[in-house]
Amino acid sequence: MAQDRDLEDYRACLIDGLKVRARRSACSSSDPIQVFVNEHRVGTLDGGGTETTFQIQIQTRIDTVELRSEDGVLLGGLSAPEYGFRTAHIPISGDTIQLRIHNTAQGGSATAMFTPAPSSWRRIWKTLAASAEATVRLPTVMMGPRIRVVAVAQLLLAIVVVGLAADRIAVRMAPERTPSLVTQAEAPWAASLPEVTKLERQLGELAQMQARTVDTIQLQQQGMAQLQSTITKLSSTQEKVVSNMLTVRQEMEKQQKGSGREVRQMTRLLMGKALSEQEQLEAEIHSLTVANDRLSEKMVGLEQDNEELKKKLKAAGVDVSKAVVSGHGSATTTRPPDIGQTPQSLQAADSRSNIQLQPFLFWVAFSEGTTQESIDQWLREMDGHKGVLNEGWQEVAIVQPAVPPDRFLDRIREATIVKAVRTSR
Amino acid sequence: MPDRTTAVIRLEDVVRTADEFDRLVSQALPVFLDRATSSTKRFLRETGQWADDVAHEKFVLRWGAEYLERFLVCGRSEAPCRPLFLLDSFVAKQHSQPDPFCYHPDLLTPLGRYLDGLVARAVISRDALIALYHHCYGMGPRDVIAITGLNELESQRIYKNFRRWRDSGWQRTMDEIGMTDVELEELVVQQQGHPQRFHHEAERLVRFAQAHYRKSEPDHYPCLSRGQWGAMFSEGHGCDYRLWHLVLCADCIQTAWDLGRNGDETIGKPRVELHVRP
Repeated sequence: MAQDRDLEDYRACLIDGLKVRARRSACSSSDPIQVFVNEHRVGTLDGGGTETTFQIQIQTRIDTVELRSEDGVLLGGLSAPEYGFRTAHIPISGDTIQLRIHNTAQGGSATAMFTPAPSSWRRIWKTLAASAEATVRLPTVMMGPRIRVVAVAQLLLAIVVVGLAADRIAVRMAPERTPSLVTQAEAPWAASLPEVTKLERQLGELAQMQARTVDTIQLQQQGMAQLQSTITKLSSTQEKVVSNMLTVRQEMEKQQKGSGREVRQMTRLLMGKALSEQEQLEAEIHSLTVANDRLSEKMVGLEQDNEELKKKLKAAGVDVSKAVVSGHGSATTTRPPDIGQTPQSLQAADSRSNIQLQPFLFWVAFSEGTTQESIDQWLREMDGHKGVLNEGWQEVAIVQPAVPPDRFLDRIREATIVKAVRTSR
Repeated sequence: MPDRTTAVIRLEDVVRTADEFDRLVSQALPVFLDRATSSTKRFLRETGQWADDVAHEKFVLRWGAEYLERFLVCGRSEAPCRPLFLLDSFVAKQHSQPDPFCYHPDLLTPLGRYLDGLVARAVISRDALIALYHHCYGMGPRDVIAITGLNELESQRIYKNFRRWRDSGWQRTMDEIGMTDVELEELVVQQQGHPQRFHHEAERLVRFAQAHYRKSEPDHYPCLSRGQWGAMFSEGHGCDYRLWHLVLCADCIQTAWDLGRNGDETIGKPRVELHVRP
């Protein structure tokens, strides 16, 4: 009875798991996505906010392609046809993955293309790229001859096909019309055997030519498909080139013109940076002042302790001298400690407290799409201070972490918004 | 029961679109699960591997759910189709393979089920794969990074993998393989009572499971000699290879355990010592 209930609970648990499926994943959108082909893990698709493509070609037929998050949750998949193409668009938390499988007699190939959700920045970027394309014609120049060659080839093929078809129709029509047009008197010309044989041969040749043309067209279509994929790749490269050129151009324009607007923008940027640096300096000064206050308090306390210690030492010295006078040589071993040693130990204590009060510095790279608010909130929770941001690495200072640095850094690494941590520049 | 019959009749019909497929299948999940489970049970019976006990019932339920999960995702691209018969063909295709799943009577004990479930999960989940270093050898993130010789950039993900596994991955895996709290407690008690015997048995079963699930590795991840491992570590390539293969091969981890440590003497030679909890 208990076993039946156990089984029934297990069955219910499995059904619940199947119901929620992809929602169960604890991974964020920036985590890599694992790609499985025929239930073998073949690679990962980096979902880090940029377009990424994963391709694989194997010598056996592909049955299935599956996408799984790093915690193993099945996000999507595609069952392949025995022969030919199949595609699927899999939406994953706003982003899209396009899966494409192609099975042939020689084996199978699979492509997974990750397209992130369009953000406002990306839209601006595309607009800039489009406007640059209007001025920079380099890609068009690169693509032009190929497209023209293909277009001319297609046009020629179409003309040949139409011509052949018309010819064949005319030839086919001719025997039907002949009986009605040809009279008995004209029969010897119309029905001569060599003529008919020749016509038949010509027809046969035409049919062969047509078959060859159809084959050529099919080949051409396949070539076109390949060309289209090449064009797609080229266009993505072109976008990158255009964007790079645009950036270079803007930089050059900025340097050459140095127009008032740009100067103002630069000034504003520099002012903003200077202000933020000033704020950081103020924060640092504040923390230093607090630390200084604490130090001076400790100094006062230590000085008082020192005075008391000196008094005690004096009293001990008097006792020792009395003991020496009483004539016991062994009393020399109880020589009072050197008073001059005390300041040294005080200095050591000071340096220790200085080390403890020095802020612990490290650099953090945050995950893609992390907002400034969440970074600030995270810093507040840690009681940390933000430093300089350099090439995606944010400097963070923590005053006296409660745990050893290694364990502290491990905790930092575990935070969801943190992508990487390092302790050196 | 009447509900199920109604669903079967409807599911025999043709669905025209992927959305229709999703709708119908999600409404009749229990029917589909029972169908996949009974097919698996029939397979075990016909191959002489069935016994009437709870362990076998749980085994077929687990695999029925596995097949159904894949069917839900991949089957929709087959529309128009008849979902019920498509599931039959999908499960039959799985069973037509030489080793559709890792079956051995010893793996149906609580310890066997636990280890089989963990290693099976490691094949599809990187979190579980990394956690296997902990469960089998008691390693933490730093030990994993050291033993696999990962560089600073590659090692950052290891912390995330450990955390996700502790937070949700382990419990989900236990739920999916049907390990109850009582069974887990029994494992801990056995471990404390006879640690030597327990670890010896765990190593025997782990090796058995590893040998089966290593087939899921990419074809180009074979076992290597110490020299080959050494070259890989010193040249700094094959991070995935190292992470995957070393934890799924008890022999190779013995061969290559000290190659990536960079002078870190705190890690000893890895020995299978099961850690039940994450």
